[in-house]
Amino acid sequence: MKKLYLILVFALLASMLLVACQPKATEAPVQEPTKVPEPTEESCSSPDVFCVGLVTDVGEIDDKSFNQSAWGGVQQAADELGAKINYIETKDAKDYGANIDLFAKDGYDVIVTVGFALGEATGMAADQYPDIKFIGVDQFQGEAKPNLSGLIFPEDKSGYMAGALAGMLTKSNVIAAVLGTDLVPPVVAFKEGYEAGAAYVNPDVKIISTYHPGGLDVAFTDPEWGATTAKQAIDNGADVVFGAGGKTGNGALIEVASHDGLYCIGVDTDQWGTVPEAHPCLVSSAMKLITPGVFNLVKMAKDGNFPSGNYIGEFGLAPFHDFDSQISQEIKDKLAQIRQDLLDDKLDTGFPPED
Amino acid sequence: MTSEQSSKSSSRNGSNHLLKRVWYSTSVPVFAVLLALLIGAIILLVSGADPLQAYAALIKGSFGNTEALSRTLQKTTPLIFSGLAVAFAFKAGLFNIGAQGQLLFGAIVAAVLGFGIHGLPAVLHASLALLGGAFAGALFGAIPGALKTYTGAHEVITTIMLNYIAINITDYLADGPWKDMTPGNIVARTPKILDTARIPSVAGLPLGFLIALIFSVVTWWLLRKTTIGFEIRTVGLNPNAAKYAGIKVAKTIILTMVLSGLLAGIGGAIETQGVVGRYQPGFNTGLGFDGITIALLGKTNPIGVIPAALIVGAMKAGSSQMQFSAGVAKEITDVIQALILFFVAADMIVRWLLRIRAAEEEKVTLSTGWGQQ
Repeated sequence: MKKLYLILVFALLASMLLVACQPKATEAPVQEPTKVPEPTEESCSSPDVFCVGLVTDVGEIDDKSFNQSAWGGVQQAADELGAKINYIETKDAKDYGANIDLFAKDGYDVIVTVGFALGEATGMAADQYPDIKFIGVDQFQGEAKPNLSGLIFPEDKSGYMAGALAGMLTKSNVIAAVLGTDLVPPVVAFKEGYEAGAAYVNPDVKIISTYHPGGLDVAFTDPEWGATTAKQAIDNGADVVFGAGGKTGNGALIEVASHDGLYCIGVDTDQWGTVPEAHPCLVSSAMKLITPGVFNLVKMAKDGNFPSGNYIGEFGLAPFHDFDSQISQEIKDKLAQIRQDLLDDKLDTGFPPED
Repeated sequence: MTSEQSSKSSSRNGSNHLLKRVWYSTSVPVFAVLLALLIGAIILLVSGADPLQAYAALIKGSFGNTEALSRTLQKTTPLIFSGLAVAFAFKAGLFNIGAQGQLLFGAIVAAVLGFGIHGLPAVLHASLALLGGAFAGALFGAIPGALKTYTGAHEVITTIMLNYIAINITDYLADGPWKDMTPGNIVARTPKILDTARIPSVAGLPLGFLIALIFSVVTWWLLRKTTIGFEIRTVGLNPNAAKYAGIKVAKTIILTMVLSGLLAGIGGAIETQGVVGRYQPGFNTGLGFDGITIALLGKTNPIGVIPAALIVGAMKAGSSQMQFSAGVAKEITDVIQALILFFVAADMIVRWLLRIRAAEEEKVTLSTGWGQQ
């Protein structure tokens, strides 16, 4: 045993010595702007070649959601602006910065990073590469950087339109929302807007809104909870259900689809394409138009009028698809008017809460 | 095959013998890697990519310049520790699947000590956080050891269960009492550790990697050159004989698990202090489990763990470059890694292809059977 302690002490001492070797690294590391390599023909560092790169969060480029919508905007830039495009799917969350670096070192002109989690790495890269334009999808910018634009969305307005639609469609005067966690501000915005929109068109409506009680790790990936919660709302008389919370919300949509004569409303993208199981009830979706948002920002970067700080993307309802004939012209007109009023900031969505 | 296995090698002396031994113990892992790369190339070819271009990108992304090399060493460091943790337990006939959980506790405790303590000089602070992480891992490793000794619960079951406990406790802590309360933060993570608690890189060389090398040598020395190491190996070969020979088997098993957990805990602490800079759930995924691949690929030899970890670390470091330049899906590195493990585990295939005699090779004792005490 004595020998063992000796060994342990030796090993730990040796590690401490190594730690002691640190030079003046205790000072905050200074990041010098990195030089872009000399331009060569057809390479992204040539000023004639316009290159757009995209880094996903830990997830797939064909996730039928966030990453895919953002990539759609980049692909549109390839078609319409002749951009050379490429993407990297992040495998290890520690590699956000390294993946952004790969594009930056290769002389890409615009780098799109998708998701809140990449915000920190994107901000650091923006400081390090002042000549490259960065687009951070869903990354709110507390302080503006000249070469970084956060693409954010007025989820409250999108939710407001969904609520207005639900408030006009309901016959039982009870509607519901099955939501991801209130830890994520966009989800809260969807909910507050939904409730305000429903109350605006239908002051008597009763709204059953339920947040997932779990943490971030499960709140968006719990379709069983979503289905159970939707079922409870239906048992309490709800005939329109808004599912907003990734797979959790999708679970709610699919549950509603198994009941006759009820409506459900999806979120983020047009879920007609992403959750076909919900077709029997899916009347529309409260959308954040990520694809045009990304494309517009890329185009502005190319045209030299890139906005810094936060760039508010578009919102709206998805097409009614098979339900189009069931929606009266009166409702459609009302929705169009509400949309215009929202654009003009004439309506109070209840978000952010007054303080 | 059978006749080859039973036949004895003629030369058994001098440097020739040593050379042979090295060849016999390295040939299977080396060819397992080569075979895996070969099959990986075929998969790449079928999926429409150029394998040569893909592998060139992989090498460029992992060894192409100092930055890439530094990243490879960073990725290798926690793998060396988790590989050592698993290999060390193997020597006592214990299969520590709980390296992941022990590593997580090491990582989060190092983070707490890193952001929670102020005013210490850099050397002391970094060492304290490292020690704290090591201690947390050791403590969490002691649990399955004690359970096995006193209740006979098999460590495979208990360590798997303890992994879930570790994941959920660390998730809770990072989203609850130790959460980063910076305004605007909605992600579950601890605050950044202070600069005094960081383990830096010197001229591109991560110091954590050097610490890993030291621990590999120390672990080898402990196992080969000390009484306690002899006892651990004896218990691994035959617990009953060890008991008969006067070795305290119970004490040895607990001690082995404590040291195994300690190694994993240091790996987690270095990851926090040297790479991530805080604890964030999801940032250490799989590091402990990769330790099993690495321990097997390294033939459970503490020195062999280093090249094994380097191979896996290099693939992790280069996979983004491979996506970027060759358009290869990120999953291909997982496929290659799984193939390596497959060929190491099913070494019959490699032996048959190479006509290597099994009898010559140093026997590796993995986990002892069910119910054995």
